[in-house]
Amino acid sequence: MAEKVEAIQGLKSQDRSIADEVQQAVREKKPLTIRRIITNEYFLNIVSMIAFLLVWHYAAASGAFSGALCTPWQVVEQFRNLMTDTLAGLTIWGHIWASTQRIFIGFVLASLVAIPLGLFMALNPYVDAIVKPVFDIFKPMPPIAWISIAILWFGIGEPSKIFIIVIGTFVPCLLNAYNGIRLIDPEMYDVIKVLGGRRRNEIIQVSFPASFPAIFAGLQISLSSAWTCVLAAELVASRSGLGFIIVQGMKISDTSMVIGGMIIIAIVAWLTSLLVMGLEKLLCPWKRGIGDL
Amino acid sequence: MAYEAVKVKKPLTLILLPIISVLTFFLVWELIVEFDVVPKTMLAAPTQVGDRFIDKLSDPNPDGGTMAAHAWVSAQEAFLGYLLSLGIGLPLGLFMGWFSVVRGVARPLFELVRPIPPIAWIPLTIFWFGIGLWGKVFIIFLGGVVPCVINSFVGVRMTNPTLIQMSRTCGASDWQIFTHLCVPSALPMVFGALQIALACCWTNLVGAELLAADQGLGYMITMGRRLALPELVVLGMVSVGLAGALIGMVIETVERRLLSGIRR
Repeated sequence: MAEKVEAIQGLKSQDRSIADEVQQAVREKKPLTIRRIITNEYFLNIVSMIAFLLVWHYAAASGAFSGALCTPWQVVEQFRNLMTDTLAGLTIWGHIWASTQRIFIGFVLASLVAIPLGLFMALNPYVDAIVKPVFDIFKPMPPIAWISIAILWFGIGEPSKIFIIVIGTFVPCLLNAYNGIRLIDPEMYDVIKVLGGRRRNEIIQVSFPASFPAIFAGLQISLSSAWTCVLAAELVASRSGLGFIIVQGMKISDTSMVIGGMIIIAIVAWLTSLLVMGLEKLLCPWKRGIGDL
Repeated sequence: MAYEAVKVKKPLTLILLPIISVLTFFLVWELIVEFDVVPKTMLAAPTQVGDRFIDKLSDPNPDGGTMAAHAWVSAQEAFLGYLLSLGIGLPLGLFMGWFSVVRGVARPLFELVRPIPPIAWIPLTIFWFGIGLWGKVFIIFLGGVVPCVINSFVGVRMTNPTLIQMSRTCGASDWQIFTHLCVPSALPMVFGALQIALACCWTNLVGAELLAADQGLGYMITMGRRLALPELVVLGMVSVGLAGALIGMVIETVERRLLSGIRR
């Protein structure tokens, strides 16, 4: 193997074909014209961001929205206020923590139950036959529809919010764990059989590792669903959390607070999804996503 | 196909178990309410839900609309939002996949909108559109547009590069490659987006109606909570779930028909 690699590398440095040289020449020859600068992707990124902020600023300043939109600068100032002032007894960090804590608890609870259950269902036809039909009844109900019943059951405290997050994260977790095992290439099991393994080996050495990527995809979906759920729950009734900031902004007709809250939500949601992605890289390093396409 | 399909006869227990489990589920639910294990203000029995459903078909009380009226309002909002998100999201994603200029301009804006849950837009939407139809359509649109863009974008990016190079060699223009090669090869992903976007739209419909509405299935659920009528809440949840499942099935059948010629 190593010799082969060396041989190929050697070929590259010494016996370059004419075709390579021509290609290289073409690549080097491209002159730096204005057209190339303008159509450069990163340049366009910056242009579009600046254009967006400018349009936003002038739309807000012109009064076309009659006060229902603030300028970007007001949002920045609002950030500074939120950093120092307290809202309903909590600083901005307290609100961020309140939301992430809910998500974390609900997320862990749901995945601890849903993933093993999904794996069980995929591996055992009897468990599948018992759980699947009941699960199919609950599956199409949007988790947000559960908010009302959660409030009837648990009141408007923490438990009802965590309940909704559990409901919202449960379905994608279970579905992906289930499909992750069902969609494994059957040839992989054949390898175990040829090597003389038993069903136990099949499950531990093929089913579990091969379903990991699907499970993590499910966790990512769950996470975004969890954010939707926690926001909805906080919008309906709460005294803390990022959803509360938005509602508060709405009540006092302060758009800068609403938009500031939305931006914070976007950042925190993005950070949590990075966390799950990092965990995935750690636990299944063999997976190559389509992200780098 | 490497594996030939082998018909294995299912054991009788495996056929019966699902039926038994669903029946047990409903029976336990009914009995829990019947014997007051949980208070009647917290959970309604399936039979009560059924009664309420028959009532609601003709009686607009207590929440100000018959079943049909609520369903019609919700369907209208969901349909408009869904169509808008398809109409804008799919072309945008396809163009972003192939033309670097479009990608350069649209990508940062899209990345800005993507991580914000559509629910978080509700307050702004109320400022801008009030609580009428278009506010909800806007929220549903935001929910559906993200998966549309992502899926069609990835679909184009996954086009086989060999085919692109071959088309170039044969003298196809960029536009020709896009319309004749990239778009058709992205179709399976695009149809995947139809399903995902529908699920997102439906979830956000309920969210939008929970907070700002005076009619619709989500509003019915909220009223059920305010009036402490659990059967109304459960009825709303069941009808939302059923409708979502039905529309999903329709799209799946259409998808299978249309894509029957394309290998996946």
